[in-house]
Amino acid sequence: MSAATTTVVRRPRRDWVNGLLSLWGILVFAFLFLPIVMIVIYSFNDGRALVVWREFGFHAYTSALSNRTITNSVFTSIRAAGGAAVIATIVGSLAGIALARRPGKWTIAFLAFVFLVLVTPEIVDAISLLIWYVRIGGPFGPGNQIFNYGLLRLFIGHALFASAVVTLIVRARLAGLDESLEEASADLYANATQTFRKITLPLMMPAVLAGALLAFSLSLDNTIISSFVSTANASPWPVYVFSSLRSILRPEIAAMSTLVLLLTLFALAMVAIVLRRGGASGEEAAAMIAGVEASSGSA
Amino acid sequence: MAEAATGARVGAGAKRPRRRLPRFALAIPAWLLFLFFFLIPILYIFRYSFGYKPDIFRTIAIDRFTFDRYTESFSDTFRDVFSGTLRISITGTILCLLIAFPFAYWLAVKVPSRWRGLLLGLTIVPFWTNFLVRTLGWLILLQPNGWLSGVMQDLHLIGAPLDVLDTREAVQLGVVYNYLPLMIFPLFVALDRLDPALREASKDLGANRIRTFRQVTLPLAMPGVIAGLLLVFIPLTGDYITAAVLGGAKGNMVGALVASQFNTAQNWALGSAMAVILILMILASLAVFSLIGFGIRALVRRSRRVEIAMEPA
Repeated sequence: MSAATTTVVRRPRRDWVNGLLSLWGILVFAFLFLPIVMIVIYSFNDGRALVVWREFGFHAYTSALSNRTITNSVFTSIRAAGGAAVIATIVGSLAGIALARRPGKWTIAFLAFVFLVLVTPEIVDAISLLIWYVRIGGPFGPGNQIFNYGLLRLFIGHALFASAVVTLIVRARLAGLDESLEEASADLYANATQTFRKITLPLMMPAVLAGALLAFSLSLDNTIISSFVSTANASPWPVYVFSSLRSILRPEIAAMSTLVLLLTLFALAMVAIVLRRGGASGEEAAAMIAGVEASSGSA
Repeated sequence: MAEAATGARVGAGAKRPRRRLPRFALAIPAWLLFLFFFLIPILYIFRYSFGYKPDIFRTIAIDRFTFDRYTESFSDTFRDVFSGTLRISITGTILCLLIAFPFAYWLAVKVPSRWRGLLLGLTIVPFWTNFLVRTLGWLILLQPNGWLSGVMQDLHLIGAPLDVLDTREAVQLGVVYNYLPLMIFPLFVALDRLDPALREASKDLGANRIRTFRQVTLPLAMPGVIAGLLLVFIPLTGDYITAAVLGGAKGNMVGALVASQFNTAQNWALGSAMAVILILMILASLAVFSLIGFGIRALVRRSRRVEIAMEPA
C-alpha cells in the first residue's frame, strides 16, 4: 500500500526525467543515422558530383555496376574478406578452445597479447605490416608467382584484428558451457576426436559462425591497413573510395556503398539469426555482433 | 552425482597419457600469427625510427643509428599537429562519454525489454557501415550549399552558408560521430548487467535518484566507462581518415603525418619515428588518465568514509 503511494507521488518527476532520456535516445539515433541516410539518398543523385544534388535517378547504380575498376575493387574486397575470415576463424577458434578448456600459466600472457592487438591504433598496424611485408618479401612480395601477393597481404593484415575478436567470442561461448558434457562423452568411450566432433564443435558452432561473419564484415570495412599494404592489382573497395577523395567524388561511390551496406546488413542479420538459434537472447546476440561483450570483459 | 564426478575424473586420468601436447598447443597458430605479423613488425617500427632516408629513390636505411628523426619530429609544425591531435582526441573522448552515457542508460534501463534487442541492433548498423562512407555522409551534410545549411539559414540559426568543412570543428564532429558506437556498447553492457534491485535497495534506504546514481549506478558502471574510454581514445588518437575527409589542411592529425611520410614523402624513418611518438603519446596519456582516476577514487573513498562514520553518531 505504502509502496503504491510512493509510486504515485514520484510519478510526475519520474516522467520528466524519463521523457528527457527518451528524447536524448531519439536524438542520438537521428545523429547516428543522419549521414548514412544522406549516402543512401545521394546514391540516387543523377549529377556528376556526389555532393551536389541535381535530380533523382538510377544512373549512379548502372554506371557503378558497369565500371570495371569499381566492380573489381568490390570483388577484391569480397575475396580479401573471405580469406581473412577463413584464417581468423580457424586461428581464433583454436585459440578460444585452448583458452576455455586448457587454461594455465600461459593464459594471462596470451590474453595480454590479444588485448594489445585489439587496442593498437590501426595506423601502427598498417605501417608495421608494410615494413614487414617489404622486408620479408617471399610470398608477400612481387616474387610470388603462384598467388596474388597483394591479396595474401590483405588476408593476413585483416585476419590479425579479427583473430583476436574471434578468440574472445569463442572463449566466451565455451566458458559459458559446462564441461561435463565433454566429460560424459569421454566416459562413454568416445575418443578425443569423436568428442570434439560430436560434442564440442556443435556447441561452439554459433560462436564460430558469428566470429566468421564478424571477421568478414571487419575486413570489408577496413580502410587503413588496406591502403598501406594493398597493391595495384589487389586494391579493395575502401581504398578506391579513399583515393577518389583526392580527385572527384562521384555518385557511383554512394551507389556502390549502398549495395555494400546491404551486403553487410545481410551478413549481420545472418549472424543474429545464427546466434539466436544458438540460444542467445536478442540482446546478447547484438552485443556479440558488436564484438564488445567479449573485449570489454577482458579489459 | 558424486559418482558421475568421480567417473569424469577417472576418464580424464585414463586419457592423460595420450595428451602429450602442451596446454597452449591449440593456441599455437594464434601465437605465431600475433608474433610474426604483429609483435615483430611493430618492433621494426622502433628499429626504423632510428634509421634515415639515404636518397630520393630508397625509403629507408638502418646501417647508422641516429636520433635525428626524433628531433625532426619535434619541430614546431609537427608539435602543433601533435598537440592538436591530443586536443581533438581528448575532447572527442569526453564528448563521446557525455553523449553515450545517458543514451546507454536509457537503452539498458528505460527501454521496454521487448524493444531493447531491436534498438541495440539499430545502434550497431552505423558501426558496421564503412567508416569512410559514414564520413562521406557528413561531407554531403556539411556542404555550404547543402540542405542542412539551407535549413539552418531559413531558421536564422546562421547568417551565411554553413562554413565548417575543412576546419578542426568538422574533424571534431566527425570523430565524435565515428567513435560514438565504441563508447555506447561497453557502457550498455555494464549498465545492462546492473541488477535493478540494487537501485531499488538504494531508494528503499532513503537515497534520492541523484545519490543513487552517484553511489550505486555510476560506480558499478565504471568498468564499462573505462573500457569505453580506452576503446574510443586509442583508435581516435591514431585516426586520420576522418581528418582527411572533413579537415582539409587544417585538420591534420598525427596519423595523417605518419601516412604521408609513408605514402607521399617515402621517408619511412621519419614516419616510424612519428608512429613511435604517437604510441608513446597514447601510453603517456593513459598513464596520466589512470593517475587522475586513482586520485579521484581515493578522494571519493575518503569523503565517503567520513559520511559513513558520521551517520551512526
